[in-house]
Amino acid sequence: MIRGRVVGEVWATRKAPSLAGRRLLPAADAGEDRVVVAGDTHDACEGDDATVAVGSGARNVLVPGPDNRALLCDAAISLLVDGESR
Amino acid sequence: MILGRVVGELWATRKHAALEGRKLLIIAPYLWYAPAHEIGHLVPVDPVGAGVGEDVVVCLGDPARRALGSTPVPVEAAVCAIVDRLELAPPGERGARPLTFDTGSAPAHEETS
Repeated sequence: MIRGRVVGEVWATRKAPSLAGRRLLPAADAGEDRVVVAGDTHDACEGDDATVAVGSGARNVLVPGPDNRALLCDAAISLLVDGESR
Repeated sequence: MILGRVVGELWATRKHAALEGRKLLIIAPYLWYAPAHEIGHLVPVDPVGAGVGEDVVVCLGDPARRALGSTPVPVEAAVCAIVDRLELAPPGERGARPLTFDTGSAPAHEETS
């Protein structure tokens, strides 16, 4: 998973049927300026610190289980960070 | 997923059999977190029906391939949404969400009279 901060929102009414009703949020890297658009199930807001699952595993965040092959999503917010220690 | 603008459409008669009947768009990506190399344009399959000039969200990688059906399709990008509106904080204003307390829920020290 990659770490990012939610920096806005993408509104789209015309979506693939498997993504109907899903929120899409752009999340940006802290140091660099890379932005990934991720599906959201945790009702994240702009400014939330999140980790984004990227790749085939992202489908399991939105629809868990073996029947999620038709989901057209390769990035999803898997958790919102409360704190960290380094 | 990445964001891009549709700049054109692609037609071909001589192509892989699994691409038969699939609409192909030419998009110029403008938000991409890890491009493999300098890419000016990307050609995704379009199951959603986007037109030239629209902003789209494009899914990359294996999920794009699997979502297009059971036959092995030689694609790794598919349009998954057409953007109505985009809100994006500029690079200088991407701070943490400030913590706020509702006055009604903060623990109050009650005095008994």
